[in-house]
Amino acid sequence: MKLTIDHETVYRYDDTVSHSTQYLRLTPGNSGHQHIISWQLDLPGVASESVDAFGNILHVLTLDTPHSEIRLKARGVVETNDSWAEQPETLPAPVFLRDSPLTEPSEAILALAASHADAIAANPEDGLTALMLAIADAMPYTQDITHAGTTAAQALALGAGVCQDHSHVFIAACRSLGLPARYVSGYLLSDRDTHVASHAWAEAYDGEQWLGFDISNRQRPDRHHLKLAVGLDYSDASPVRGVRRGGGSEALHTHAKVSEAGQQ
Amino acid sequence: MHALTLPESGHYDEMLLDSGGIRPHYRDFARWLHSQPPETLARKRAEADLMFHRVGITFAVYGDDSGAERLIPFDTVPRIIPASDWQTLEAGMRQRVTALNAFLHDIYHEQHIVKAGLIPAEQVFSNSQYQPAMQGLDLPHRIYAHITGVDVIRHSDGNFYVLEDNLRVPSGVSYMLENRKMMMRLFPELFASHAVAPVQHYPTLLLNTLRHASAVDNPTVVVLTPGHHNSAYFEHAFLAQQMGVELVEGQDMFVKNNRVYMRTTAGHKQVDVIYRRIDDAFLDPLAFRGDSMLGVPGLLSVYRAGGVILANAIGTGVADDKSIYPYVPDMIRFYLSEEPLLQNVPTWMCRRPAELDHVLNNLHELVVKEVHGAGGYGMLIGPAASAAEIEDFRQRIIADPNNYIAQPTLCLSSCPTFVESGIAPRHIDLRPFVLSGRDISMVAGGLTRVALKEGSLVVNSSQGGGTKDTWILEDQS
Repeated sequence: MKLTIDHETVYRYDDTVSHSTQYLRLTPGNSGHQHIISWQLDLPGVASESVDAFGNILHVLTLDTPHSEIRLKARGVVETNDSWAEQPETLPAPVFLRDSPLTEPSEAILALAASHADAIAANPEDGLTALMLAIADAMPYTQDITHAGTTAAQALALGAGVCQDHSHVFIAACRSLGLPARYVSGYLLSDRDTHVASHAWAEAYDGEQWLGFDISNRQRPDRHHLKLAVGLDYSDASPVRGVRRGGGSEALHTHAKVSEAGQQ
Repeated sequence: MHALTLPESGHYDEMLLDSGGIRPHYRDFARWLHSQPPETLARKRAEADLMFHRVGITFAVYGDDSGAERLIPFDTVPRIIPASDWQTLEAGMRQRVTALNAFLHDIYHEQHIVKAGLIPAEQVFSNSQYQPAMQGLDLPHRIYAHITGVDVIRHSDGNFYVLEDNLRVPSGVSYMLENRKMMMRLFPELFASHAVAPVQHYPTLLLNTLRHASAVDNPTVVVLTPGHHNSAYFEHAFLAQQMGVELVEGQDMFVKNNRVYMRTTAGHKQVDVIYRRIDDAFLDPLAFRGDSMLGVPGLLSVYRAGGVILANAIGTGVADDKSIYPYVPDMIRFYLSEEPLLQNVPTWMCRRPAELDHVLNNLHELVVKEVHGAGGYGMLIGPAASAAEIEDFRQRIIADPNNYIAQPTLCLSSCPTFVESGIAPRHIDLRPFVLSGRDISMVAGGLTRVALKEGSLVVNSSQGGGTKDTWILEDQS
């Protein structure tokens, strides 16, 4: 199916920022799952493009004249399908076994993982699906309880969270069982407006292939999902990550709209 | 005359034979020492202390709130190594560093050594020191560790063993240089009577190595320091000054259009080679630790695009990690088809159940180390530990066996050292520095560290160690 994406991120600062540098992972790559028909970034300066460690398209934007707002726009049209085969891989799967700062397991995560260990060993796909549903049950989707820096352990203890938290708990559980797992950021076409269109899910490696799990939506990702970036956790794959000098406090406003092309 | 305490028999002393005789390469020095009045030597030692204070060679001790900075005690009895021993050491270290660089290139590319089954994949790839950002990246000349410090000890069998490799940000070379300067100042007559190999050209060799690391003509080199709170700040400033390059902190630099620039009084200047003295995790807050104030935002993206050289490269820690150390002899055979010239210390990996059992049953006679530990922190020296300390460590190992390795308690050789009672043997090690550039270069020498406490085997300055000048005697034949 053909998806149209319109994504705007705006940072507004109380004071003037003298210098800022942003890592932007706002451009999807081609794969067996998705074909980019058109994509463009509208940025307040010239960005240099590269490919990061995880194979994501990375733009580095440096603003070295005083500014009090940063407006980042991404939009494009992408053709998607239900297949997740033929994903370009840059790293050996065991890299995704390591704990990362946001996915260090707690006792509760270890216990949750252990209770699914046998099922996953017997049939990874079914066992991981059961794990996904258990996490979704244990942490009902709730906004404004957690934030970007909330760890998997904290979120599970809170018993609530958003797609980022669900993914982190799932990833931590998989790794504790010796299964490589990773974070995916992307877009989702959804008819429910409870979930923002800017989305996150997780992938686990069963020894042969990466399997996707959209914990928040209790489903396997399909053609409604468009992949932007992968990483060990949110920090590696987040669409925007920046450092600035000055600026005081900031207000962040993001708006992502995903629609089926020609059906708006 | 000096009150001279003899080493215990069974130990290897660098100067004294078991019979009480003097080893040939120490004979001239011993004769000279014998002729010096104790008051003269005491006065020289006081002079050395005073001068080191003036120069400001101090270091901060982590975990010690009392004094932020302390002088590393300097001992005026040199550690002398005959030319033939040095030839063995130098050849062994060149071989070792060549293999370690080959290993780093391999695991960040094709991973032949993993595919050959010599090292388990998860031990490399889930190691926290393995940096995904380095996978597939081509470095000029395939050099990852431009500067390596190899810690060697001499055991009671008289042979040298490599205790560990330091491929991240090895420090201590400033002490090697300052100790030599001090000895030449205090005892110029000794250098007239001994053919001591020079070390003072190390900064020149280092600068050549750093410049060679870049493909740019006439590259701009800087030294990146975490700042004056760091324990090795003196060394960072010293090396920058000796090389005639800028000493910078992360906040002095920024990234734009795939290049790194430093802010100078004359405007922005492009930086081509960064001799960084900060750990990987702090280099770029946008890629690694977000709370790092020490790095340069965006540095990793420029590095990956080839716009700047970092020395050492990111991710070298996977080769000097204590869990990888036991494989270095295999690396030498695998990449160079040679037999190792320097021996490893036999090592038990607690991650292997059978070896864990052996370790737990023999804690009282083993040295146990944390896999990621450094600076002598977090280790158990079985023979010197109390029953309670051993028990405490046993629980820590059982709780996380992957995090520990164990080795037999090696008896580090001793060297006569000034102590309160006169001159007595104290245990020593040696850290030579290996530079990998156009080819491998080394100055003949290194940093000799000495455990000043009687019987102690811990030479780290953070644990009460001191240093000595290290003399490699040039072959007179």
